[in-house]
Amino acid sequence: MIKIENLSFSYNQNRQLFNQLNLTLPAGNIYGLLGKNGAGKSTLLKIISGLLFPKNGNIDVVGFLPKDRFPQFLREIYLVTEEFNLPSLNMDCFVRLYSPFYPRFNHSLLNDYLYEFRIPREQKLSAMSYGQKKNFLLCFGLATDCKLLILDEPTNGLDIPSKSHFRKIIANAVHEERSFIISTHQVRDMENLIDPIIILDEGEIIFFQDYEQISKKLVVSKQTEMPDSDSVVYYEPSLGGYTVVKENTDRIETRMSLELLFNAVVGNKEKINELFKS
Amino acid sequence: MNLSNYFEPSRFWLLLKMELFKSRKGFILTFVVTFGLLFTGFILENIFGTERVFDSHPAGYAFFLLIGGFILSSLAFNDLSNPLRRYNYLTLPASTFEKFMSMWLLTCIGWIIMFTLTFIIYTLIANSIGHLFFKKMTFLAFEPMARTPIHSIRYYIVFQTIFLAGAVHFRGYVFPKTIFTVLLFGMVCGIIFYIIMADIIHSDLECPSDFNPFKEGTLLQIWHIVQWLIWWMMAPLGWIITYTGLKDQEV
Repeated sequence: MIKIENLSFSYNQNRQLFNQLNLTLPAGNIYGLLGKNGAGKSTLLKIISGLLFPKNGNIDVVGFLPKDRFPQFLREIYLVTEEFNLPSLNMDCFVRLYSPFYPRFNHSLLNDYLYEFRIPREQKLSAMSYGQKKNFLLCFGLATDCKLLILDEPTNGLDIPSKSHFRKIIANAVHEERSFIISTHQVRDMENLIDPIIILDEGEIIFFQDYEQISKKLVVSKQTEMPDSDSVVYYEPSLGGYTVVKENTDRIETRMSLELLFNAVVGNKEKINELFKS
Repeated sequence: MNLSNYFEPSRFWLLLKMELFKSRKGFILTFVVTFGLLFTGFILENIFGTERVFDSHPAGYAFFLLIGGFILSSLAFNDLSNPLRRYNYLTLPASTFEKFMSMWLLTCIGWIIMFTLTFIIYTLIANSIGHLFFKKMTFLAFEPMARTPIHSIRYYIVFQTIFLAGAVHFRGYVFPKTIFTVLLFGMVCGIIFYIIMADIIHSDLECPSDFNPFKEGTLLQIWHIVQWLIWWMMAPLGWIITYTGLKDQEV
Protein backbone atom coordinates (compact mmCIF):
# COMPACT_ATOMS: atom_id res chain seq x y z
CA MET A 1 0.00 0.00 0.00
CA ILE A 2 2.85 2.40 0.84
CA LYS A 3 6.37 1.90 -0.39
CA ILE A 4 9.04 4.46 0.38
CA GLU A 5 12.55 3.98 -0.99
CA ASN A 6 15.58 6.15 -0.23
CA LEU A 7 13.45 9.16 0.50
CA SER A 8 15.21 12.42 1.29
CA PHE A 9 13.54 15.58 2.44
CA SER A 10 14.65 18.85 3.96
CA TYR A 11 12.90 22.11 4.78
CA ASN A 12 16.15 24.00 4.23
CA GLN A 13 19.57 23.23 2.88
CA ASN A 14 21.28 23.25 6.29
CA ARG A 15 19.24 20.54 7.93
CA GLN A 16 18.09 17.35 6.26
CA LEU A 17 15.08 15.81 7.98
CA PHE A 18 14.89 12.50 6.12
CA ASN A 19 17.95 10.96 4.54
CA GLN A 20 17.53 7.71 2.58
CA LEU A 21 14.37 6.73 4.45
CA ASN A 22 12.89 3.33 3.61
CA LEU A 23 9.50 2.08 4.70
CA THR A 24 6.98 -0.46 3.43
CA LEU A 25 3.49 -0.57 4.88
CA PRO A 26 1.20 -3.37 3.67
CA ALA A 27 -2.57 -2.79 3.68
CA GLY A 28 -4.92 -3.90 6.44
CA ASN A 29 -3.28 -2.48 9.56
CA ILE A 30 -3.64 0.38 12.00
CA TYR A 31 -0.13 1.79 12.06
CA GLY A 32 0.89 3.85 15.05
CA LEU A 33 3.44 6.51 14.23
CA LEU A 34 5.18 7.70 17.37
CA GLY A 35 8.01 10.11 17.91
CA LYS A 36 9.18 13.13 19.84
CA ASN A 37 8.30 16.66 18.74
CA GLY A 38 10.19 17.52 15.57
CA ALA A 39 10.95 13.87 14.78
CA GLY A 40 9.30 14.25 11.36
CA LYS A 41 5.95 12.49 11.91
CA SER A 42 3.72 15.21 10.45
CA THR A 43 6.18 15.80 7.61
CA LEU A 44 6.11 12.12 6.70
CA LEU A 45 2.30 12.14 6.72
CA LYS A 46 2.28 15.22 4.50
CA ILE A 47 4.69 13.57 2.05
CA ILE A 48 2.47 10.46 1.95
CA SER A 49 -0.58 12.68 1.27
CA GLY A 50 1.16 14.60 -1.52
CA LEU A 51 1.19 17.86 0.42
CA LEU A 52 4.99 18.01 0.57
CA PHE A 53 7.34 16.84 -2.15
CA PRO A 54 10.41 14.73 -1.39
CA LYS A 55 13.73 15.99 -2.67
CA ASN A 56 14.92 12.51 -3.67
CA GLY A 57 13.78 8.92 -3.62
CA ASN A 58 10.67 7.01 -4.62
CA ILE A 59 7.32 6.93 -2.95
CA ASP A 60 4.31 4.90 -3.99
CA VAL A 61 1.01 5.25 -2.15
CA VAL A 62 -1.95 3.07 -3.21
CA GLY A 63 -0.32 2.74 -6.63
CA PHE A 64 0.25 6.45 -7.23
CA LEU A 65 2.99 9.00 -6.92
CA PRO A 66 1.56 11.37 -4.24
CA LYS A 67 3.26 14.43 -5.77
CA ASP A 68 1.01 14.15 -8.85
CA ARG A 69 -2.09 14.58 -6.69
CA PHE A 70 -4.22 12.76 -9.24
CA PRO A 71 -7.93 12.61 -8.33
CA GLN A 72 -7.79 8.79 -8.34
CA PHE A 73 -5.13 9.02 -5.66
CA LEU A 74 -6.78 11.75 -3.62
CA ARG A 75 -10.06 9.84 -3.43
CA GLU A 76 -8.21 6.89 -1.85
CA ILE A 77 -6.67 8.86 1.00
CA TYR A 78 -8.25 11.00 3.68
CA LEU A 79 -6.21 13.17 5.98
CA VAL A 80 -7.46 14.50 9.31
CA THR A 81 -4.87 16.94 10.62
CA GLU A 82 -4.44 18.07 14.21
CA GLU A 83 -5.56 21.56 13.32
CA PHE A 84 -8.07 22.05 10.57
CA ASN A 85 -10.43 24.52 9.03
CA LEU A 86 -14.01 23.69 8.20
CA PRO A 87 -16.08 25.96 5.96
CA SER A 88 -18.96 27.88 7.46
CA LEU A 89 -21.63 25.49 6.20
CA ASN A 90 -24.09 23.21 7.87
CA MET A 91 -23.25 19.54 7.89
CA ASP A 92 -25.71 18.52 5.17
CA CYS A 93 -24.39 21.18 2.85
CA PHE A 94 -20.80 20.08 3.47
CA VAL A 95 -21.70 16.47 2.76
CA ARG A 96 -23.66 17.45 -0.37
CA LEU A 97 -20.72 19.46 -1.72
CA TYR A 98 -17.81 17.17 -0.82
CA SER A 99 -19.15 13.61 -0.87
CA PRO A 100 -19.65 13.38 -4.68
CA PHE A 101 -15.87 13.59 -5.08
CA TYR A 102 -15.61 10.19 -3.40
CA PRO A 103 -17.32 7.62 -5.65
CA ARG A 104 -17.78 5.02 -2.90
CA PHE A 105 -19.10 7.47 -0.33
CA ASN A 106 -21.55 5.70 1.98
CA HIS A 107 -24.24 8.03 3.37
CA SER A 108 -25.84 5.47 5.65
CA LEU A 109 -22.44 4.67 7.15
CA LEU A 110 -21.92 8.38 7.76
CA ASN A 111 -25.25 8.55 9.60
CA ASP A 112 -24.26 5.56 11.74
CA TYR A 113 -20.92 7.11 12.68
CA LEU A 114 -22.50 10.49 13.43
CA TYR A 115 -25.03 8.72 15.63
CA GLU A 116 -22.27 6.90 17.49
CA PHE A 117 -20.44 10.16 18.15
CA ARG A 118 -23.75 11.89 19.07
CA ILE A 119 -23.21 14.63 16.49
CA PRO A 120 -26.46 16.41 15.55
CA ARG A 121 -26.81 16.56 11.74
CA GLU A 122 -28.55 19.91 11.52
CA GLN A 123 -25.76 21.79 13.32
CA LYS A 124 -23.60 24.33 11.52
CA LEU A 125 -19.99 23.16 11.36
CA SER A 126 -18.60 26.47 12.61
CA ALA A 127 -20.85 26.25 15.70
CA MET A 128 -19.44 22.87 16.72
CA SER A 129 -16.80 22.34 19.38
CA TYR A 130 -13.28 21.40 18.32
CA GLY A 131 -13.82 17.78 19.36
CA GLN A 132 -17.13 17.55 17.47
CA LYS A 133 -15.53 18.95 14.35
CA LYS A 134 -12.72 16.44 14.60
CA ASN A 135 -15.20 13.61 15.08
CA PHE A 136 -17.22 14.82 12.12
CA LEU A 137 -14.13 14.84 9.89
CA LEU A 138 -13.31 11.34 11.06
CA CYS A 139 -16.87 10.17 10.31
CA PHE A 140 -16.70 11.78 6.88
CA GLY A 141 -13.30 10.24 6.18
CA LEU A 142 -14.52 6.79 7.16
CA ALA A 143 -17.66 7.18 5.01
CA THR A 144 -15.53 7.95 1.93
CA ASP A 145 -14.46 4.29 2.01
CA CYS A 146 -10.94 5.34 1.08
CA LYS A 147 -8.03 2.93 1.31
CA LEU A 148 -5.84 5.02 3.59
CA LEU A 149 -6.92 7.20 6.48
CA ILE A 150 -4.21 9.38 7.93
CA LEU A 151 -4.95 10.77 11.36
CA ASP A 152 -2.63 13.27 13.00
CA GLU A 153 -3.24 13.51 16.75
CA PRO A 154 -6.83 12.26 16.40
CA THR A 155 -7.66 12.10 20.12
CA ASN A 156 -6.42 15.61 20.97
CA GLY A 157 -9.42 17.58 22.15
CA LEU A 158 -11.77 14.60 22.37
CA ASP A 159 -13.70 13.98 25.58
CA ILE A 160 -13.52 10.62 27.35
CA PRO A 161 -16.62 9.05 25.75
CA SER A 162 -15.47 10.23 22.31
CA LYS A 163 -12.08 8.60 22.82
CA SER A 164 -13.65 5.22 23.49
CA HIS A 165 -16.06 5.69 20.53
CA PHE A 166 -13.03 6.57 18.44
CA ARG A 167 -11.19 3.36 19.39
CA LYS A 168 -14.27 1.24 18.78
CA ILE A 169 -15.03 2.79 15.39
CA ILE A 170 -11.46 2.59 14.13
CA ALA A 171 -11.05 -1.01 15.26
CA ASN A 172 -14.24 -1.96 13.37
CA ALA A 173 -13.44 0.06 10.27
CA VAL A 174 -10.14 -1.57 9.36
CA HIS A 175 -10.22 -4.33 6.75
CA GLU A 176 -7.72 -6.03 4.48
CA GLU A 177 -7.82 -3.28 1.86
CA ARG A 178 -7.91 -0.35 4.23
CA SER A 179 -5.22 0.99 6.51
CA PHE A 180 -4.89 3.70 9.07
CA ILE A 181 -1.81 5.67 10.01
CA ILE A 182 -2.26 7.31 13.36
CA SER A 183 0.35 9.76 14.51
CA THR A 184 0.06 10.64 18.16
CA HIS A 185 1.63 11.66 21.43
CA GLN A 186 -1.43 10.47 23.36
CA VAL A 187 -0.14 6.91 23.52
CA ARG A 188 -2.51 5.88 26.32
CA ASP A 189 -5.50 6.58 24.04
CA MET A 190 -4.05 4.20 21.47
CA GLU A 191 -3.36 1.21 23.71
CA ASN A 192 -4.68 -2.00 22.14
CA LEU A 193 -5.55 -0.17 18.95
CA ILE A 194 -2.39 0.53 17.00
CA ASP A 195 -0.32 -2.37 15.72
CA PRO A 196 2.40 -2.31 14.30
CA ILE A 197 4.27 0.49 15.99
CA ILE A 198 6.57 2.79 14.07
CA ILE A 199 8.89 5.04 16.03
CA LEU A 200 10.51 7.92 14.27
CA ASP A 201 13.45 9.76 15.78
CA GLU A 202 15.38 12.61 14.16
CA GLY A 203 14.11 11.65 10.73
CA GLU A 204 14.96 7.96 11.07
CA ILE A 205 12.73 4.99 11.63
CA ILE A 206 14.32 3.49 14.71
CA PHE A 207 11.62 0.92 15.41
CA PHE A 208 9.00 -0.85 13.31
CA GLN A 209 7.52 -3.96 14.91
CA ASP A 210 4.17 -5.53 15.62
CA TYR A 211 3.02 -6.49 19.09
CA GLU A 212 3.59 -10.19 18.51
CA GLN A 213 7.27 -9.58 17.92
CA ILE A 214 7.49 -7.11 20.78
CA SER A 215 6.09 -9.60 23.33
CA LYS A 216 8.34 -12.31 21.93
CA LYS A 217 11.46 -10.23 22.36
CA LEU A 218 10.75 -8.08 25.40
CA VAL A 219 9.37 -8.70 28.84
CA VAL A 220 8.23 -6.25 31.47
CA SER A 221 8.60 -6.80 35.17
CA LYS A 222 8.55 -4.90 38.43
CA GLN A 223 11.31 -4.97 41.02
CA THR A 224 12.07 -3.11 44.18
CA GLU A 225 15.83 -2.80 43.73
CA MET A 226 17.42 -0.60 41.10
CA PRO A 227 18.55 -2.96 38.30
CA ASP A 228 22.01 -3.10 36.80
CA SER A 229 21.72 -1.12 33.56
CA ASP A 230 23.78 -3.68 31.59
CA SER A 231 21.39 -6.52 32.37
CA VAL A 232 18.24 -4.72 31.23
CA VAL A 233 17.09 -2.86 28.14
CA TYR A 234 15.45 -0.07 30.04
CA TYR A 235 14.11 0.75 33.47
CA GLU A 236 12.24 3.59 35.03
CA PRO A 237 11.17 4.35 38.59
CA SER A 238 7.57 3.52 39.39
CA LEU A 239 5.37 3.23 42.45
CA GLY A 240 7.12 0.97 44.94
CA GLY A 241 10.18 0.24 42.85
CA TYR A 242 11.19 0.03 39.21
CA THR A 243 9.52 -1.03 35.98
CA VAL A 244 12.05 -2.99 34.00
CA VAL A 245 12.15 -3.95 30.33
CA LYS A 246 14.36 -6.97 29.65
CA GLU A 247 15.07 -9.41 26.89
CA ASN A 248 12.43 -12.14 26.91
CA THR A 249 14.68 -15.15 27.38
CA ASP A 250 12.07 -17.23 29.23
CA ARG A 251 9.34 -16.85 26.57
CA ILE A 252 6.94 -15.23 29.04
CA GLU A 253 4.22 -13.15 27.44
CA THR A 254 3.68 -9.74 28.96
CA ARG A 255 1.85 -6.75 27.60
CA MET A 256 3.95 -3.64 27.56
CA SER A 257 2.36 -0.20 27.64
CA LEU A 258 3.04 1.98 24.62
CA GLU A 259 4.55 4.65 26.79
CA LEU A 260 7.04 2.23 28.29
CA LEU A 261 7.85 0.77 24.90
CA PHE A 262 8.44 4.23 23.45
CA ASN A 263 10.69 5.23 26.35
CA ALA A 264 12.62 1.97 26.07
CA VAL A 265 13.16 2.35 22.33
CA VAL A 266 14.18 5.99 22.49
CA GLY A 267 16.24 5.43 25.66
CA ASN A 268 18.25 2.50 24.36
CA LYS A 269 18.14 2.43 20.56
CA GLU A 270 21.25 0.29 20.15
CA LYS A 271 20.15 -2.52 22.45
CA ILE A 272 16.63 -2.60 21.00
CA ASN A 273 18.10 -2.74 17.50
CA GLU A 274 20.39 -5.59 18.47
CA LEU A 275 17.56 -7.54 20.06
CA PHE A 276 15.16 -7.24 17.16
CA LYS A 277 17.80 -8.01 14.56
CA SER A 278 18.66 -11.32 16.17
CA MET B 1 -1.68 8.39 -19.85
CA ASN B 2 -5.05 8.20 -18.16
CA LEU B 3 -6.95 11.32 -19.26
CA SER B 4 -9.37 11.16 -16.33
CA ASN B 5 -6.41 11.94 -14.08
CA TYR B 6 -6.42 15.38 -15.69
CA PHE B 7 -9.99 16.10 -16.72
CA GLU B 8 -13.36 14.52 -16.23
CA PRO B 9 -16.45 16.60 -17.14
CA SER B 10 -18.64 15.33 -14.28
CA ARG B 11 -15.96 15.99 -11.68
CA PHE B 12 -15.21 19.38 -13.20
CA TRP B 13 -18.89 20.29 -12.97
CA LEU B 14 -18.93 19.29 -9.29
CA LEU B 15 -15.89 21.45 -8.63
CA LEU B 16 -17.35 24.39 -10.52
CA LYS B 17 -20.57 24.17 -8.51
CA MET B 18 -18.60 23.97 -5.29
CA GLU B 19 -16.39 26.94 -6.13
CA LEU B 20 -19.39 29.00 -7.20
CA PHE B 21 -21.13 28.14 -3.95
CA LYS B 22 -18.08 28.89 -1.82
CA SER B 23 -17.28 32.17 -3.57
CA ARG B 24 -20.88 33.39 -3.69
CA LYS B 25 -20.27 35.98 -0.95
CA GLY B 26 -17.20 37.37 -2.74
CA PHE B 27 -19.16 37.58 -5.99
CA ILE B 28 -22.12 39.32 -4.36
CA LEU B 29 -19.85 41.76 -2.50
CA THR B 30 -17.96 42.63 -5.70
CA PHE B 31 -21.26 43.21 -7.52
CA VAL B 32 -22.73 45.34 -4.72
CA VAL B 33 -19.59 47.51 -4.44
CA THR B 34 -19.20 47.84 -8.23
CA PHE B 35 -22.79 48.78 -8.94
CA GLY B 36 -23.00 50.95 -5.82
CA LEU B 37 -20.06 52.96 -7.13
CA LEU B 38 -21.56 53.06 -10.62
CA PHE B 39 -24.87 54.41 -9.34
CA THR B 40 -23.13 56.99 -7.15
CA GLY B 41 -20.97 58.09 -10.09
CA PHE B 42 -24.02 58.24 -12.34
CA ILE B 43 -25.96 60.48 -9.96
CA LEU B 44 -22.98 62.77 -9.21
CA GLU B 45 -22.19 63.17 -12.89
CA ASN B 46 -25.77 64.15 -13.62
CA ILE B 47 -25.88 66.64 -10.76
CA PHE B 48 -22.51 68.28 -11.30
CA GLY B 49 -21.81 67.51 -14.96
CA THR B 50 -22.18 70.13 -17.67
CA GLU B 51 -22.85 67.79 -20.60
CA ARG B 52 -26.32 67.58 -22.13
CA VAL B 53 -25.82 64.02 -23.30
CA PHE B 54 -24.92 61.19 -20.91
CA ASP B 55 -22.61 58.84 -22.78
CA SER B 56 -20.40 57.50 -19.97
CA HIS B 57 -21.78 53.96 -19.86
CA PRO B 58 -19.09 52.42 -22.11
CA ALA B 59 -16.31 54.07 -20.06
CA GLY B 60 -17.95 52.94 -16.81
CA TYR B 61 -18.31 49.44 -18.21
CA ALA B 62 -14.64 49.29 -19.22
CA PHE B 63 -13.35 50.69 -15.94
CA PHE B 64 -15.40 48.49 -13.63
CA LEU B 65 -15.06 45.36 -15.77
CA LEU B 66 -11.30 45.64 -15.44
CA ILE B 67 -10.98 46.82 -11.82
CA GLY B 68 -13.76 44.59 -10.45
CA GLY B 69 -12.47 41.62 -12.41
CA PHE B 70 -8.88 42.13 -11.31
CA ILE B 71 -9.95 42.29 -7.66
CA LEU B 72 -12.12 39.20 -8.11
CA SER B 73 -9.26 37.34 -9.82
CA SER B 74 -6.99 38.26 -6.91
CA LEU B 75 -9.47 36.53 -4.61
CA ALA B 76 -9.29 33.30 -6.63
CA PHE B 77 -7.46 30.42 -4.92
CA ASN B 78 -8.24 32.16 -1.64
CA ASP B 79 -7.97 28.78 0.11
CA LEU B 80 -4.25 28.74 -0.60
CA SER B 81 -3.71 31.84 1.56
CA ASN B 82 -4.71 30.01 4.73
CA PRO B 83 -2.42 27.12 5.75
CA LEU B 84 -5.31 25.06 7.14
CA ARG B 85 -7.66 25.66 4.22
CA ARG B 86 -4.79 24.76 1.89
CA TYR B 87 -4.86 21.16 3.22
CA ASN B 88 -8.52 20.82 2.22
CA TYR B 89 -8.05 22.43 -1.15
CA LEU B 90 -4.99 20.44 -2.18
CA THR B 91 -6.39 17.09 -1.02
CA LEU B 92 -9.79 17.61 -2.67
CA PRO B 93 -10.08 14.83 -5.25
CA ALA B 94 -10.01 16.98 -8.39
CA SER B 95 -7.11 17.43 -10.76
CA THR B 96 -4.89 20.52 -10.77
CA PHE B 97 -6.10 21.27 -14.28
CA GLU B 98 -9.72 21.16 -13.15
CA LYS B 99 -8.93 23.41 -10.18
CA PHE B 100 -7.22 25.89 -12.49
CA MET B 101 -9.97 25.73 -15.13
CA SER B 102 -12.76 26.23 -12.61
CA MET B 103 -11.12 29.38 -11.26
CA TRP B 104 -10.35 30.71 -14.71
CA LEU B 105 -13.90 30.10 -15.89
CA LEU B 106 -15.39 31.80 -12.86
CA THR B 107 -13.09 34.84 -12.77
CA CYS B 108 -12.72 35.35 -16.52
CA ILE B 109 -15.64 34.11 -18.60
CA GLY B 110 -18.05 33.96 -15.65
CA TRP B 111 -17.21 37.50 -14.57
CA ILE B 112 -17.49 38.90 -18.11
CA ILE B 113 -20.93 37.32 -18.65
CA MET B 114 -22.30 38.17 -15.22
CA PHE B 115 -20.90 41.70 -15.23
CA THR B 116 -22.17 42.44 -18.75
CA LEU B 117 -25.67 41.15 -18.02
CA THR B 118 -25.85 43.08 -14.75
CA PHE B 119 -24.42 46.18 -16.42
CA ILE B 120 -27.13 46.04 -19.10
CA ILE B 121 -29.79 45.86 -16.39
CA TYR B 122 -28.02 48.65 -14.48
CA THR B 123 -27.99 50.97 -17.54
CA LEU B 124 -31.68 50.33 -18.16
CA ILE B 125 -32.51 51.21 -14.55
CA ALA B 126 -30.05 54.13 -14.39
CA ASN B 127 -31.30 55.64 -17.67
CA SER B 128 -34.93 55.33 -16.51
CA ILE B 129 -34.09 57.06 -13.22
CA GLY B 130 -32.08 59.68 -15.16
CA HIS B 131 -35.05 60.39 -17.46
CA LEU B 132 -37.25 60.82 -14.42
CA PHE B 133 -35.03 63.24 -12.48
CA PHE B 134 -32.93 64.96 -15.16
CA LYS B 135 -35.46 65.66 -17.88
CA LYS B 136 -33.19 67.93 -19.94
CA MET B 137 -30.52 65.27 -20.32
CA THR B 138 -30.29 62.67 -23.08
CA PHE B 139 -29.17 59.23 -21.91
CA LEU B 140 -27.52 57.01 -24.49
CA ALA B 141 -28.27 53.32 -24.26
CA PHE B 142 -25.43 50.89 -23.55
CA GLU B 143 -24.42 48.77 -26.53
CA PRO B 144 -22.56 45.68 -25.30
CA MET B 145 -21.37 44.84 -28.81
CA ALA B 146 -19.91 48.30 -29.48
CA ARG B 147 -16.18 48.89 -29.90
CA THR B 148 -15.35 49.99 -26.32
CA PRO B 149 -17.00 47.03 -24.49
CA ILE B 150 -15.50 44.49 -26.91
CA HIS B 151 -12.05 46.07 -26.53
CA SER B 152 -12.44 46.07 -22.75
CA ILE B 153 -13.26 42.36 -22.79
CA ARG B 154 -10.21 41.70 -24.92
CA TYR B 155 -8.00 43.66 -22.51
CA TYR B 156 -9.58 41.89 -19.55
CA ILE B 157 -8.99 38.38 -20.91
CA VAL B 158 -5.33 39.18 -21.49
CA PHE B 159 -4.46 41.14 -18.33
CA GLN B 160 -6.64 39.13 -15.94
CA THR B 161 -4.12 36.29 -16.14
CA ILE B 162 -1.58 38.46 -14.28
CA PHE B 163 -3.91 38.63 -11.27
CA LEU B 164 -4.81 34.95 -11.52
CA ALA B 165 -1.11 34.07 -11.47
CA GLY B 166 -0.66 36.48 -8.54
CA ALA B 167 -3.48 34.70 -6.68
CA VAL B 168 -1.54 31.42 -6.85
CA HIS B 169 1.87 32.82 -5.98
CA PHE B 170 1.14 35.38 -3.26
CA ARG B 171 -0.18 34.62 0.21
CA GLY B 172 -2.62 37.33 1.30
CA TYR B 173 -2.95 40.93 0.00
CA VAL B 174 -2.81 39.50 -3.50
CA PHE B 175 -4.19 42.57 -5.30
CA PRO B 176 -1.70 45.15 -3.93
CA LYS B 177 1.18 42.68 -4.21
CA THR B 178 0.33 41.97 -7.86
CA ILE B 179 0.01 45.70 -8.64
CA PHE B 180 3.38 46.32 -6.96
CA THR B 181 4.99 43.51 -8.97
CA VAL B 182 3.53 44.86 -12.23
CA LEU B 183 4.80 48.36 -11.37
CA LEU B 184 8.23 46.97 -10.56
CA PHE B 185 8.28 45.06 -13.84
CA GLY B 186 7.14 48.20 -15.66
CA MET B 187 9.96 50.19 -14.08
CA VAL B 188 12.54 47.60 -15.12
CA CYS B 189 11.14 47.64 -18.68
CA GLY B 190 11.19 51.46 -18.62
CA ILE B 191 14.84 51.52 -17.57
CA ILE B 192 15.78 49.00 -20.30
CA PHE B 193 13.80 51.04 -22.84
CA TYR B 194 15.55 54.20 -21.67
CA ILE B 195 18.98 52.56 -22.00
CA ILE B 196 18.15 51.44 -25.57
CA MET B 197 16.61 54.76 -26.57
CA ALA B 198 18.99 57.03 -24.65
CA ASP B 199 20.72 58.25 -27.83
CA ILE B 200 17.46 59.34 -29.45
CA ILE B 201 16.16 60.91 -26.24
CA HIS B 202 19.32 62.94 -25.63
CA SER B 203 20.02 63.82 -29.27
CA ASP B 204 19.83 67.42 -30.45
CA LEU B 205 17.34 66.43 -33.13
CA GLU B 206 14.25 68.56 -33.30
CA CYS B 207 11.19 66.57 -32.47
CA PRO B 208 8.25 67.60 -34.66
CA SER B 209 4.74 66.93 -33.38
CA ASP B 210 4.16 64.06 -35.82
CA PHE B 211 7.47 62.41 -34.95
CA ASN B 212 6.96 58.71 -34.23
CA PRO B 213 10.04 56.50 -33.90
CA PHE B 214 7.81 53.42 -34.34
CA LYS B 215 6.59 54.56 -37.76
CA GLU B 216 9.10 52.62 -39.80
CA GLY B 217 12.17 50.42 -39.76
CA THR B 218 13.42 48.00 -37.11
CA LEU B 219 11.66 49.75 -34.23
CA LEU B 220 8.34 49.31 -35.99
CA GLN B 221 9.02 45.59 -36.37
CA ILE B 222 9.99 45.30 -32.71
CA TRP B 223 6.83 47.17 -31.75
CA HIS B 224 4.72 44.76 -33.81
CA ILE B 225 6.39 41.79 -32.16
CA VAL B 226 5.79 43.27 -28.69
CA GLN B 227 2.13 43.88 -29.55
CA TRP B 228 1.75 40.37 -30.91
CA LEU B 229 3.39 38.93 -27.81
CA ILE B 230 1.08 40.89 -25.52
CA TRP B 231 -2.12 39.99 -27.35
CA TRP B 232 -1.39 36.37 -28.18
CA MET B 233 1.24 35.12 -25.76
CA MET B 234 0.60 36.91 -22.47
CA ALA B 235 -2.64 35.11 -21.60
CA PRO B 236 -1.35 31.58 -22.38
CA LEU B 237 1.85 32.36 -20.50
CA GLY B 238 -0.19 33.55 -17.52
CA TRP B 239 -2.29 30.39 -17.64
CA ILE B 240 0.83 28.21 -17.69
CA ILE B 241 2.36 30.15 -14.76
CA THR B 242 -0.90 29.81 -12.81
CA TYR B 243 -1.23 26.09 -13.57
CA THR B 244 2.37 25.22 -12.70
CA GLY B 245 2.17 27.40 -9.58
CA LEU B 246 -0.90 25.46 -8.50
CA LYS B 247 0.71 22.13 -9.31
CA ASP B 248 3.80 22.95 -7.26
CA GLN B 249 1.87 24.08 -4.19
CA GLU B 250 2.95 22.48 -0.92
CA VAL B 251 1.71 23.06 2.61
